[in-house]
This record gives sequence, C-alpha cells and structure tokens, in this order.
Amino acid sequence: MNSIRKSKAFMAILYVLVFLLLAEWLTPVITLTDTGHKTLFLVFIGISLAMAYFQVHWGISALVKTFYIMWFLILGYTDTTFFSFEALGFILADLRVNLEALFAQDWADTTDIFRTVLFFSLLWMAVYLIHYWVSFRLSIFLFYILTVVFIAVLDTFSPYNGDTAIIRIMVIGLMLAGLLHLARWLESHRINETINRLAAYTIPLFLMVAVSTALALYLPKAGPVWPDPVPYITSFSGEGGPGPASIGRIGYGVDDSELGGSFMADNTLAFRAEVEDGQYWKVETKDTYTTKGWELSEPVAEPVLYNNGDLIETEFQPGSEEESVNAVLEMELEFPFVLYPYGIETIQMEEEIRYSYTPIDQKIEPMLNGAPYEPDAVELQFNEPAYSLTGLRETTIDKLAELPPEFDRYKQLPEELPQRVRDLAAEITADSETVYDKARAVENYFERDGFEYSLTDIPVPEEDQDYVDQFLFETKRGYCDNFSTSMVVMLRSLDIPARWVKGFNEGEQLEDENGIETDVYQITNNNAHSWVEAYMPDVGWMLFEPTIGFTGSSQIDFDLDIETSDSEEPETPERPQQPELEEEDEAAAAAEARGPGMWERLGEYVADNRGAVLFGMVASILAAVLLFVKRQKWLPKVLVPYYRRRKGEQTFEKAYLRLLKQLDLYGIKREDGQTLMSYARYIDSFFGTKEMTRLTASYEQSVYGGQPETVEWSELKESWENLINRTSS
Amino acid sequence: MMNPKEQLSKVIDNIEKVIIGKRDIVELSMVAMLSHGHVLLEDVPGVGKTMLVRALAKSVGADFKRIQFTPDLLPSDVVGVSIYNPKDMEFNFRPGPIMGNIILADEINRTSPKTQSSLLEAMEEASVTIDGVTMQIPKPFFVMATQNPIEYEGTYPLPEAQLDRFLLKIKMGYPTAKEEMEVLNRSQFSTPIEDLESVISLEELLELQRQVKNIKVDDTIRSYIVTLARQTRNDPYVYLGVSPRGSIALMKSAQAYALLKGRDFVTPDDVQHLAKFVFGHRIMLRSEARYDGITAEEITERILTKTKVPVQRLVGQ
Repeated sequence: MNSIRKSKAFMAILYVLVFLLLAEWLTPVITLTDTGHKTLFLVFIGISLAMAYFQVHWGISALVKTFYIMWFLILGYTDTTFFSFEALGFILADLRVNLEALFAQDWADTTDIFRTVLFFSLLWMAVYLIHYWVSFRLSIFLFYILTVVFIAVLDTFSPYNGDTAIIRIMVIGLMLAGLLHLARWLESHRINETINRLAAYTIPLFLMVAVSTALALYLPKAGPVWPDPVPYITSFSGEGGPGPASIGRIGYGVDDSELGGSFMADNTLAFRAEVEDGQYWKVETKDTYTTKGWELSEPVAEPVLYNNGDLIETEFQPGSEEESVNAVLEMELEFPFVLYPYGIETIQMEEEIRYSYTPIDQKIEPMLNGAPYEPDAVELQFNEPAYSLTGLRETTIDKLAELPPEFDRYKQLPEELPQRVRDLAAEITADSETVYDKARAVENYFERDGFEYSLTDIPVPEEDQDYVDQFLFETKRGYCDNFSTSMVVMLRSLDIPARWVKGFNEGEQLEDENGIETDVYQITNNNAHSWVEAYMPDVGWMLFEPTIGFTGSSQIDFDLDIETSDSEEPETPERPQQPELEEEDEAAAAAEARGPGMWERLGEYVADNRGAVLFGMVASILAAVLLFVKRQKWLPKVLVPYYRRRKGEQTFEKAYLRLLKQLDLYGIKREDGQTLMSYARYIDSFFGTKEMTRLTASYEQSVYGGQPETVEWSELKESWENLINRTSS
Repeated sequence: MMNPKEQLSKVIDNIEKVIIGKRDIVELSMVAMLSHGHVLLEDVPGVGKTMLVRALAKSVGADFKRIQFTPDLLPSDVVGVSIYNPKDMEFNFRPGPIMGNIILADEINRTSPKTQSSLLEAMEEASVTIDGVTMQIPKPFFVMATQNPIEYEGTYPLPEAQLDRFLLKIKMGYPTAKEEMEVLNRSQFSTPIEDLESVISLEELLELQRQVKNIKVDDTIRSYIVTLARQTRNDPYVYLGVSPRGSIALMKSAQAYALLKGRDFVTPDDVQHLAKFVFGHRIMLRSEARYDGITAEEITERILTKTKVPVQRLVGQ
C-alpha cells in the first residue's frame, strides 16, 4: 500500500512542526532553570528528529546521539573543544563519582554533568515518543494538549511568560493535528493521493488556521474572570507573608506604582495587637500620583533618629487625654518598619534599637547597629489626637493659599488627569464652605453615588487611562486603594493638601471563651488597608476614611456651643471601637453566624467569594457529572453487596435487569429487536463465559414461563456477580 | 417414557439420515405437523422435497401419499370419487390420495384453481365431502405442498385466501457443496430412504400434538406477536398485512417450536425464529415494493429489528 507515510514531503512538514512544538517545551525549561546552550539542545532534538525522519538504523542513530552528548559535555564542562584523552578521562572520572553517588543514594552528590546527561536522555525519550506518535499512531493530540497545559501552568505559576508561546503552540498544534487527522483519514479510506492532491487538502487547513489565528489576535478579548489563581492557591498552603507581594494577594506591599486588579483574600496572620481600642496602624504615606498609582518624591529632610522611649515627633500631635494608651504588638510576619497608631508618643523595643523616622513618608524603621531590623514585638505608647471642631469650622478656603511651599508636593497632580475628575470634585463640594466640610463631602460621596466595595473583578487601567477616572466614572467598583486614591486626587484638585496612607486597619477583636471581648486584636493580611490624610489649615493633618464599610475616623472635640453642633452630630460616633464587619472577615463571621442575619451574611459571603463559590459549584457539578458518566465503573461495587443480601422472588429479575443496564453502559448495546437470548450469547462470546446464557434462561423461565418460584437467586448469584464485576473492569 | 424433546430430536435425527444439512427445514416441518398446520415448500425441483416428506412419514410410521398436480388434474382425482358398482347396484366410494396421514402435494401451482381449492378445503377442514357425505381424514393429517417459484411459466398462482391456509412457507434451498458431496456419497450404493424405520408411533405423535396446546404463552409474548402482526398492516410497502389468523399461526407454531426445544413456555426467540416463515406468504406487497426489490421476508426482518422485544414482566395486568 502506498501509504501517506511514504510521502516524504508530507512527513517532512510533520517533523518540522514537531520540532517547533518540542522547541516550545524546551524554551521554558531552559529559561527557568538557567541552563545554557539552548541552541545546542535544539540541535540535538533536530538531529534526533532528522534521523527518525530518514529512518536511520537505530544503532547508528544511538551512536550519533551518544557522540553528540559526549561532545556537548566536553564542550560545556571542560576547556577543550573537542575530544582529547584528558576530556574523556574527565568524563569517565565524573561518571564514576556519579555512579558511586547513585549507589549510595546520595542524590545531592551527583554532578551537573550527570544531570545534563539525564536531561539529554529525557529529550531522547521525548523525541522517540513523539516520533512514534507521529509516524505510527498518526496522532499528536495528547502531546498537544499536554504542551498547552504545560505552558499554561508555567505561565501561571512561574515567572515564565507564555503569552506568545501559547499562540505559537496553538498554531503549530492545530496544523499538526489537522495534518495527522488527514493522514489517518486517508489511511482508513485507503486513499492514495499524489502530492498535488494532498496540497489541495492541506492548503485550506493552513488558510483556516491562519485566518482563525489572525481573527483571534485581532478580536478584543475579555479580561480574565479569575485573574490570578496563585494567591488563592498559596493562601490554602498557609504560606503568606509580605514578601515581594505576589500580584493580587491582599497584604502589605511596597510597590504601589500600578494599582488595580483583583484581590484574593489571604487570612495569613500579620500581627496581634493588645490595645484597648482598635487602631489604624500606619506604616507610611505616598505623595506622588502618577495616573496609575503612587510613588514617592525626592526626600526633603534627613531622617530623624530616636532612642527607645524618646518622644517621637510626627505630624500628628498626641491628644490631650490625661493618660497615654499602651499597645503591644506581637509580630507574626516580619516587617522592617514599625506599625504605629495615630498620636504615637514612644516606642519601646530591645535596648540597642534606634528608630529612624523619615519625614518624607512618615515611616518609622527600627535600626540595629545601623542595619534594618525586623522586630518581633513592639511596645507603644500613644494618645489619640483630637481635633477641635471650632478649629475645623474655621478652616476657610482662603487659608489654603497661604500654605508654605512644603505643602506643594501634597497638591501634586499629573497633567493628564481628566478634567471631569476636577469637575466632579468641584460639584461634590459646591455647597461646602470650609476645607473640613469639603473633605467630609468628598469622604461621604462614595457612600451615596452607587459605589460598590469589591475585591474581585477590578480592572487595571489601560495605557491611556487614569486610575481614578476609571474608578469614578466607569467601574464604580473597587477596594480601599480605589477609594482612598480617588479622595486624595479629588482633594488635591481642590487645592487641599492630601496624601495617601498605607497600613493596616484595626482587625478582628478576639473574644474569650465566654464570648466577652478581649483587648486583643488579630490583624491578618486581609486587613492591609489604605486611607487618606488631609491637611486642615491651622489645625493639622487629619485622617479620612472614604472606603465604604470602613470606620476609621479622627476624634473630634466638640468644643462648640450646643446649638451650632447639630450638623456635626452624625459624624461623632464614628470611632473604630468594636470590630465591624471587614471585607474578608465576613467569611468567618458567616460561618459563625446564627440567627436572622445569617442568610444575609451568607449572601455577602457568596458575593465576596464569588470566585471560590463558583469554583466550588462548578467543581461539584463536574464531580457529579463525572460520577454519573463513570457510574459503570463504580456502580457494581454498590450493586453487588446490595443484591447479595437481598432475597425473594423479585430479586433475581431486578438484578438481571440491572445487569442489562450495566452491560449497556459497558458498551454492549442490545438492539430493540434483539432477544435476550441472542444478546446473552453475544455477551458470553464477548467475555468468554457461559453465565449470561444461564442467567437469561432462568430469567426467561421466570418472566415468559411465569414460574419465578422455580428460579433460585442463591444459585445464580455467583454468575451474576461475576458478570457485573466484569462490566466495571 | 421419553420427554417430548428427546422424542422429537429422535425423529429429526432420523430424518437427517436422509436429508443432509437441512435441520432447520426439518424442524420447521415438525413444527407445522405438531401444530396441525401445513407447509408450503417453494422451491425448484430436485432439492429433496419429496425425500423430506417421505422420511417424515416413515419416521412417525404414518401413511404417505403423493399427488402430482398437473393442469388437467380434477378435484375428484384429489379427494376421491364414488363409482357405480353394477354388481352391488350402488355407488362405492373410492378414496382419493388426500385420504392419508402425510400428503405431498407436488407443484400445486400447476393445477387449476378448482383443483387447488379442493385440496385446500380438505386441508382446512381435515375432511372431504363427496356426494353429500362427509368423511373425516385420518389423523394426523399433514400436507406438504410444493410450488415452483412464481416466476416460472405455466403456473396458477395461489390466491391470497388460499395461501393463508398454510401455516408456514419454507424455502428449501440448495445444499452446500460439502453437503452435496455427502448426498452423492450416500446415494452411490443405496437409497437410504428405504432403510428408514419409524422412531415414534402415530399415537405418540398425536400425544405430542396435544402437548403443544399446553405450552405457556405469556401475555408479554402475546402482545409481542400482536404488535408484530399489526406492524405488517401499517407498512407502506404492504398492500395486505398479516391477518389475525396469521397471529394465531405464529403463536401456535411458536408453541410447537418451544416444545421442540424442550421448553414449556414460548420465548421471543421462538417468535422471531418463526415470524419469517409464518408471515412470508401472508404479506401481500404493493407493486412499489417489487420495483424496489423488497420481499415480504425483508419486511418481516425489518419489523423484527425495530419492534422492541419484551424483556420485562407486564405490570398491573
């Protein structure tokens, strides 16, 4: 038969495509493992495929490959470029070392050379396997799918970027699969085609792949529903930590230059705070908005150093309460900075620690002998600042113009900021007279204009898009960064100095065994937060909390006459005292919830964890479908013990009918017009048994003969079990 | 006392000494004889039809008669005639060849419809009436009529109503090369039919006939038979489907077949096996079927494949 496999040109195309596909495998492996000589590995694959293509005798082929590997080893690990006695001796010596290590099961002692040899053998086997698939099985689908999965997994879980690789793989794979399908089809129909006719089949295939690829590249693509599964998966493994904040997981990150994107909850414990009232724990502020995120401008002053117990001067004056409050922080994650509450007075740690306070970002960094230090426990004293309402009422707009130039960096805005953001800020605050009122108006704006708090499905702004503009006018959906950044930008557009603050919110207040609240707060990565500080002329910096659902606020002194304070009343009770529902804590809350609010909270939980819930649902549906589809495999295991125990006249008939269904699932279908006996004979010839005929004869006697009493289930049980067990194998 | 299956297989084995490789045909003939039916054999001459009937007759010890139908055969040549006996001064009845146990009616479609109908009436009634006197034909009474395939010239095709009288229509077919060699081998020195002896008596045969009636036919089977028969009436190719008499024939023959197989109940396999032979001559095709080259057997086959076999007990009846 003049098979398609004899067509040299056709097979050559296949082998070239296979080579390209293998190269796609090799590239990430080489990149990720920092292996050199990619070209030489590719040459090895090329040579192996070429020899397979030309059907070189296996002995010669093996010899050539071994020779090549040896040459590679000499080139890569010795100074000589070609075979010499020293080089060979070196290789042999190395071989001995490795063999010894292998026998001693001392895997760590194997050398790089040995690993290289192993890698080559792997490539050798891979090439052989693919050669087999392509030349004999005429099928590449499994390998194709594996390649796609491999690249997808690497792209997701490793630094390797498979964006273009996956497109190349799709194209190569579609071509290969298409050509091999054609080959199989030609073979099964015993069609012998000339190369010209083959072209007539293959050119449309090439065109289709080309056109669909071009279309797919050109068409707009929806963003990912589940942007990054990695944090979700790693959060299960319990490995949290700030680290180089992996994209998308909640936690304290350092780089804020590109905000946006969705977040996954991360319940890793960051620290525990023993303090009377929950506090916002500040880390640092940022001052330069770049339309995409936040950066820090050039330093303006040298860091100030403090010793243990020194009174630390921040831009927030401690409050005038008689006694300062103590707080002890027990760090679970290690941070190279101090988390401090508003109104910080002193910090206490080990003896030799000094504290460097940087005015530019208000970060306090502990130093041990001049090197950064990550504290395990911190003791703090603070006095929460309080703001005189009278003073706030006097923060007139004209005072803004008199502010010294140090405040300019807190009024910075990028030139590209869309005008409508400025217009919106002006509109929101049109009715407010004082700076304080304007800040409050902006802070409260988000509560009423249809904004939604969400961690998921949050876009990253496009190249020419402004982060704030996107949030305010397009998505209206986001988390703390969206709200706080928007508020800062809007305040700045009104010439009010404002800055963006990062830190943690108060966290969850723990309860003792009796359900009574303790003074211990547990702060997880989920509590990483950002908020706003704005400067009130003549009053000072003040905390604002624009994010929906968060309760941080500044303490106001109602030093006004009663009759004038009415308009301020609604704001006064806002103190971060009791543990409010935080975004991700709702998970735990919903689990614990009993009573009327449970369904509501369950609803919120579902809304917040849509990804997880959806995943769970899809997984269970898939599992159910799989169970149903695969019931042929497991059903007998259930049926056998069930029917083994049963007695009575009806049992045999039911068991027999069950067997028929099971056989049907197994793939031996009974035609409508096929009698049981002829079916039974077929089954018996199929399995090489006699039992189906026996069972059927009994069944016929029971049903057609109307003598169910003559049939003894106990005698037939064994035959039945034997058959039904066969259907699950 | 042997059981029915053993008795019947002895008969069949006996016949097989003479008729080589036609066990199914022999079985079908037995089925027809056990259920008081008659067989129409449609085949070319020389394939062993006569031998089959003679062997059958010999095996059960029955009286064998043969009628060769010719265009000039008269009814009285079949049933017999009363002849005036001048000596006794009265009419004496001379019985025709029909008055036997097992009759071979050869080439029935060569004779005139008048003669054909005399035979068929006798078959149906198991009696003949001559000059007002009705005479019973001795039992068992089994007619095996042969006819040349319709395409042969000079034939009088049997009318539909007459065909219905035959329980089964069987085609004998040529033996395989190997079987034919065996036939030659056996006929070289002797005629085996002469050496054949009876293995059961006529009484035993009558007893078996009675037993057929007691074979159980479950409701599921009855309903299956009825469904099959009704299907033939709805087929677009069919001009006249199977009559209720056809349904009865199928049931009875299935019972006989079950007995033959040693069962006391009928299974769908029995029904399927016999449907072709029972329905084949009872389905009248439209001319379209003939243009499309579809035969009644093919239609039966098609109905059998698409009709659901009852596999479960009928519930609630």
